[in-house]
Amino acid sequence: MTTQMNSGQDCARAWEIMPWALQATAAPGQREWLMHHLAQCEACSAEFAQQSRLRCALSLPTDVPVDAERGLKHLLERLDSPETEATPIRRWSSGNRLTRALAAAVVLQAIGIGALGVRLWSDQAPHYRTLSQPALLEPAGALRVVPANGMKLADWNRLLHDLGLRVVDGPNDAGAYAVVPAGSSSASALRKLRADRDIRLAEPVDNTP
Amino acid sequence: MNESSSDVDTRDRMLLQRMAAGDRAALETLYRAYQGGLSRFLSRLTRRADLIEEIVNDCFWIAWRKADSFHGDSRVSTWIMGIAYRCGLKALRQRGDEPVDDYALREGHGPSHDPDEDRELRDWLGEGLKHLSADQRVVVELVYGVGNSLEEVAAIMQAPVGTVKARLFHARIKLRNVLPALAGDAPAQRENRS
Repeated sequence: MTTQMNSGQDCARAWEIMPWALQATAAPGQREWLMHHLAQCEACSAEFAQQSRLRCALSLPTDVPVDAERGLKHLLERLDSPETEATPIRRWSSGNRLTRALAAAVVLQAIGIGALGVRLWSDQAPHYRTLSQPALLEPAGALRVVPANGMKLADWNRLLHDLGLRVVDGPNDAGAYAVVPAGSSSASALRKLRADRDIRLAEPVDNTP
Repeated sequence: MNESSSDVDTRDRMLLQRMAAGDRAALETLYRAYQGGLSRFLSRLTRRADLIEEIVNDCFWIAWRKADSFHGDSRVSTWIMGIAYRCGLKALRQRGDEPVDDYALREGHGPSHDPDEDRELRDWLGEGLKHLSADQRVVVELVYGVGNSLEEVAAIMQAPVGTVKARLFHARIKLRNVLPALAGDAPAQRENRS
């Protein structure tokens, strides 16, 4: 029983030493002990022979043909290539090509969205104004006019036509319109407006405090 | 480390110093010295020659750029093997590939000038390696093929020594059970013996 236990322990010890004995890195005493054990133990001797064969097989040159000179040539070309300054190239990677293609698509989309945004921002203001927007500044020469409550629409239109006026704003809360003369001078239009009995108020916008 | 490997390491350190100074001739010398060993090492991860060449070149591209950061904490060969291992894993990950699992695929890919004995050894080895995981194959290659210590393998794989030791242990157990016997010993008998 004791002999069997010792034998088991010896075999385990031999198992541990074998790789390093094959490498010739085991301590001299360990190697000597292993050789002594192998001479007595058939199982460990067979195992060691198999380990030796394994080492021999693994020491053979690779059976995958890789041309050293061609690889070196590619490496030197790569060192000379400016695009490899940052990261290595993966020419063979089909998965990587897909990733690059997707990344390129995302970049293109981002550029497109950016260009669209710039265009929208740079576009002219629309030719309409909503009620929530603040009142536009009247152009130079504009007149503020308040027609009388009883003035008919036809009379108002006729007056505007006769004086060559165009409504650019209004009416505001006080019922005032902003008008600009199309051809005649503001002063002349202002004088004629003040002379009309249906006009309650006519004044230049510029003078408005 | 024996005298020979010490000499090799001294040579490699000098080459690295020259590379750090921009000497391409030193790079070419180091490349030629390591290309064969690295290719064999990487062939435990992938059987594609073009991919192996790219990984080797990635490795030396990094070595060229980082030569001045090598402080001599390990042998140059350990440093280079570590870079190659990480480049190999990264390349496989980027391609969405797993390390090769079927070593039987390798049959018939050997060079035609291969002596019969070598071919027989390769077939025998292939039969065993196809039963190992990629990590186990790498550990077996580094210990038996390259001759690294457990500590060096741990440095290359950036794994604890205990993990490396466990991988080697399990790989050896598998190989013992699956490798064809040397003298007609049936696998069943070996199973019983173990």
